[in-house]
Amino acid sequence: MNVYVTGIGVISAIGNNVDENYNSLTSLNHGIGPVQFSNNKKTHLVGNVKLSDEAIIEKYSVKNLPISRTSLLGIIAASEAWGSNKHMKSIRTGLISSTSVGGMDKSEKYYRQLIQHEDIDNSLILTHDNGNTSEKIANFLGLEGYVNTLSTACSSSLNAIMLGARMIQQDKLDRVIVGGSDAFTEFTLNGFDSLMIYSDEMCKPFDENRNGLNLGEGAGFLVLESNRSIKETKNTQLCELVGWCNAADAFHQTASSPEGKGATLAIEGALKQANLSPNDIDYINAHGTATKNNDLSESRAIINVFKNNIPSFSSTKAFTGHTLAASGSIEVIFSILTLTKDVIFPNLNFIQPIEQTKLNPVTELTMNKKVNCVLSNSFGFGGNNSTVILQKI
Amino acid sequence: MGFYINGASAISHQSTFKNKGYTENIFELNSSHELLAPNYKEYIDSKALRRMSQILRMSITCGIDCLSQSGIENTDSIIIGTGLGCLMDTEKFLKNVLTLDGLIPPTAFIQSTHNTIAGQLSLLLENNNYNMTHTQNTVSFEHALLDCMLRLNENDNNVLVGGADEHIPLLDNIASDIGVKIVEGKMTSGAAMFALSNERNKHSLARVMDVETYYGKSKNLQDQVNSFIEGTEIDLILINSNEALEFDLENIVNYSSIFGYLHSGSALALHYAVDVINEEGKQNILIVNYLNDNMGLILISNLEA
Repeated sequence: MNVYVTGIGVISAIGNNVDENYNSLTSLNHGIGPVQFSNNKKTHLVGNVKLSDEAIIEKYSVKNLPISRTSLLGIIAASEAWGSNKHMKSIRTGLISSTSVGGMDKSEKYYRQLIQHEDIDNSLILTHDNGNTSEKIANFLGLEGYVNTLSTACSSSLNAIMLGARMIQQDKLDRVIVGGSDAFTEFTLNGFDSLMIYSDEMCKPFDENRNGLNLGEGAGFLVLESNRSIKETKNTQLCELVGWCNAADAFHQTASSPEGKGATLAIEGALKQANLSPNDIDYINAHGTATKNNDLSESRAIINVFKNNIPSFSSTKAFTGHTLAASGSIEVIFSILTLTKDVIFPNLNFIQPIEQTKLNPVTELTMNKKVNCVLSNSFGFGGNNSTVILQKI
Repeated sequence: MGFYINGASAISHQSTFKNKGYTENIFELNSSHELLAPNYKEYIDSKALRRMSQILRMSITCGIDCLSQSGIENTDSIIIGTGLGCLMDTEKFLKNVLTLDGLIPPTAFIQSTHNTIAGQLSLLLENNNYNMTHTQNTVSFEHALLDCMLRLNENDNNVLVGGADEHIPLLDNIASDIGVKIVEGKMTSGAAMFALSNERNKHSLARVMDVETYYGKSKNLQDQVNSFIEGTEIDLILINSNEALEFDLENIVNYSSIFGYLHSGSALALHYAVDVINEEGKQNILIVNYLNDNMGLILISNLEA
């Protein structure tokens, strides 16, 4: 059974909807700057969404507070993707969201109250669990039924897309909203800092002198549909989701294997499932976090699969920061823009190729480039490696 | 029909681990009962063990034991459901972030992600296959099982699937806010792992016939249950909810009173069901997991039904 993308919605440091993100990408406007809306005292550079919680709650008339920022960002992107779709009894519709730390922004507030012996508001900690963040999105969309949340660190939302596609393929659902959301938290900022992989300057994916990531926040959601569903909804197909694969690196809890084993398996698996050869891929939206370890491992995986015929590739993380669980779906949406508008977004801040692999990403905005098939990677802690492939209709 | 359970291993407050027939000796849980943990050193290298939180120790030990029971060397997928994930490490790192000024040790952060369990299993089993973690509140395990069934319908022959959650004292303070009536003020920890397969082998214990989840308020639990079982004669219902179900059946057991309350309690209920099927020869058992608008239903049958 074929799986089509019929709706997309995104919010990130470079815009509050798809059009704003596209405009920033094509105007080369990144969204990285000092931390906003947080108690964080450090001077890190992050890709904050330019809306406060209060502004979102008011604009979208969000009820049932407290609500985590993760849910709020998810509500914005999922609503945009859902658009004017209607709930119909004849179309089984589900929601598969994903997040790495769920309502951690509210848990931080709760633990501060606890530590400082202030009045404690238990309702804050009830937004902590990942499932709650998805339930709030489902409630906002008036959706009941199959509601699920995946959490595989930074590959989470690519896995949500994959699971949605499989649910449609096996005729368990007709239409499914898939994606992921992560809000900026002190927890994750300090986490990457403690691992010494947080850059104190603008991140430089795939550059020899890259020195770590910039954290971002945001959400990306897609509507996936079967042929049968599209016949009823009359939605326009943006592209077809043709291949997907998840594989375990089984090397280390946080580091990727130097030879890129799991990433290679994920890319090969997705190609095999799509029944495509490496030559069919026109563009790769790389995971490219700008950590020493990821970019070398991913470069090796790309070389393992594509040999001497490396497709155009870039990492868009220098625009948005690393949005963790949301990065997979945000970058798939950027990949869909590449497919539908025949434009390749550049890899910012790149100067010098990595010594060992010598790969050169696309560094200039490339318009009117015929793109038929794109591949997007996301890799997470726990050696969790995922790849999806999208094709023009 | 159905998917064969070829291995089942659980650690809980009851004597579930490597103890077939334990369901005949269930005791009533009170706050003096601790988790009945085996000697983890028999399963995990002691150097690795030192760094592991309780949820990792339980899950990995059950995973290894489960695979060895099932007679398979390795598995085509590893799929875990956990409602709250690695809470001990999450809380530890969070407290450090909020109270320490200088550099914070990274170990707790590394082990705080929900997919640490599945990731560690892939490392220990040197398994490069599909590796997934479902975190849908109290029905995380049911979602993991549904994913497992999708995989078995695709190209997998064997899947290691499980549920795990760990207790931290904070949970006791908020139990009533989650809508949980806990045994003498205590929530619990536990893990259960299962080796599921398309194929019956000499180790087969029972079959998972069907699994369903539903999130929302608008459907009635009784109607959902009726349409799920479609006239199958049920011998035993394991339930965690105080919601009244009309069944012409005396055999209804509240599994939270056995295992205490944890988000992955339905995984322990499935382990209980497997034991009862093998010891008492029951045919069909229904697990009803319903809390806070999340419903999970699992139907298990013996090998002959």
